Amino acid sequence: MRHLHVYVLMALAALALFFAPGMNQYWMHVAIMAMIYSILTSSWSLLAGYAGLFSLGHMAFASIGGYTSALLVKWFGIPIPLGIAAAIAMCFVLGAFIGWVCLRMSGPYLAIFTLGFAEIIRIAFSTEDDITGGMAGLHTEPIFADTTRLPYFYAAFALLALSLLLMGLLVRSRWGLFLRALREDEQAAAACGVAVARFRILAFAIASSFAGLAGGFYAHYIGVLTPGIGALDYMALLVVMTVIGGMERLPTAVGGAIAIEFLLELLRGSYRWDVPLLGITVHYDPQWRLPFFGIILLLTMRFARNGLMTPLWLQFMRLGEARAASAAVPVVREEDSRA
Amino acid sequence: MSERAILVRGAGVSKRFGGILANDSVEFAVEEGDLIGLIGPNGSGKTTLINILTGHLRPDGGEVMLRGHSTGGQAAHVYAVMGVARTFQITQLFSRMTVLENLLVPGLTRPNSTRAEATRRARGYLEFLNLAHLEQLDAKNLSGGQQKLLELGRCLMLEPAVLFLDEPFAGVHPQLRDELIKRIQELHNGGRTFVVVDHDMESILRISKRLVVMARGRKIADGLPEVVRTDQTVLSAYAGL
Repeated sequence: MRHLHVYVLMALAALALFFAPGMNQYWMHVAIMAMIYSILTSSWSLLAGYAGLFSLGHMAFASIGGYTSALLVKWFGIPIPLGIAAAIAMCFVLGAFIGWVCLRMSGPYLAIFTLGFAEIIRIAFSTEDDITGGMAGLHTEPIFADTTRLPYFYAAFALLALSLLLMGLLVRSRWGLFLRALREDEQAAAACGVAVARFRILAFAIASSFAGLAGGFYAHYIGVLTPGIGALDYMALLVVMTVIGGMERLPTAVGGAIAIEFLLELLRGSYRWDVPLLGITVHYDPQWRLPFFGIILLLTMRFARNGLMTPLWLQFMRLGEARAASAAVPVVREEDSRA
Repeated sequence: MSERAILVRGAGVSKRFGGILANDSVEFAVEEGDLIGLIGPNGSGKTTLINILTGHLRPDGGEVMLRGHSTGGQAAHVYAVMGVARTFQITQLFSRMTVLENLLVPGLTRPNSTRAEATRRARGYLEFLNLAHLEQLDAKNLSGGQQKLLELGRCLMLEPAVLFLDEPFAGVHPQLRDELIKRIQELHNGGRTFVVVDHDMESILRISKRLVVMARGRKIADGLPEVVRTDQTVLSAYAGL
């Protein structure tokens, strides 16, 4: 049965939507945050994984999106969806500008430049407390009057599905092919007729606009927005999620976000374990969860550069393929395995 | 005999890297139907000249004209779209993309191209280059010679007016080198224009219809291969004779 994996994914999504009302509020919050992170990791994967532009400014764009929407709604009383649309537009334009400024940068230079940009944004939002509320935070309008998280769950689900659909169409189009060519070799791409500057700028603009969407939604979901959202530790978390999942495919980047967000919560809580090991008792403390993810990241970079989710995703893609067919075509076509 | 159109012309092209003058007022014209061998000792400025004529470097002096029009410092991709294709001294493929995808990239940059049409043309060229059975393999897994063939195929996908091949025979197995020469000759007989840079004199002399020699950033000879190879200036530049 061809495309069985698509049907399985749709069935899982339908089950999640059907059983969502029964989920407790705490885990529903974790699921909503996982979906917001999924938009961020997949859009960062578009930039860093597909186009090879290793930017550390992605969370800064989420922050800009959040403040843009929150402030426009607060000052002008515009509807929240319009505020989020303005956040997307703002991040698109700013992303294009940053893409243009660092046209000739790559690798560590690009990373350091975008990190500097992110710090400037974070410090500006902290300092201008008359406008942004500074470190005390900016109180934002909620999207839904409902006191439960269920409508947010459905909204986050819809935004994630729409984002993945749009990004999936992009990476399967000729633009997606050109972005991957840029990642491999910019000079060769230019020799093939790819407008290198235009596509680098577009990659920044598009990825940043999805970050703006995630930031805008987050601002109106969380209620209080602080400049910390654009800080390096959140960017590091985003990198960990994407790299552990697999940064060269959208679904694996999403898988990384969901897995890490749930694992972080599982390991955060009141779980303290005493494990007897070779005659001594090893105490697990929740503080160890971050070094634990650091070690997983190191092991992933050393032994599975395509991410831990990639082999699982490739197996999952083969679901339903006849045994004979899989024997004839042992490698999943790259074209099919993307998006 | 009718006069042939000049496809690419470097007029008084100069380029300096720090204290080194890599190209010194070089005049170089490629006419329609040419098969030019461009030779010269290491450091004579051949690759710099190719980089300038294909838009990958901007000259410090002089200008580049495509079909008589000044390019005015356009980006390299504009040259490619205008029919100037090139390969690189050290093969530069899209390593983690499949052989087919490597050809689709230039195929889809052409105006009004569709994926179906580009795929059909790519498969045609893969057949021509004996790479059809490898189309789903990542380019990094090809042998050196196959990579050179694929780079040639990538150029052909642009349906270029002129192809600049930078050291296509370097490090290639003799069998594959013969295949490469055969393909270049077939394409030339079909009307393609080539400029081939290489140190492999035997191969260059086998295919060239016109030989250009460079030394110390200057063009020192330009003419029929049998004439140029006995030119005293060339002999002294190469062997100090």
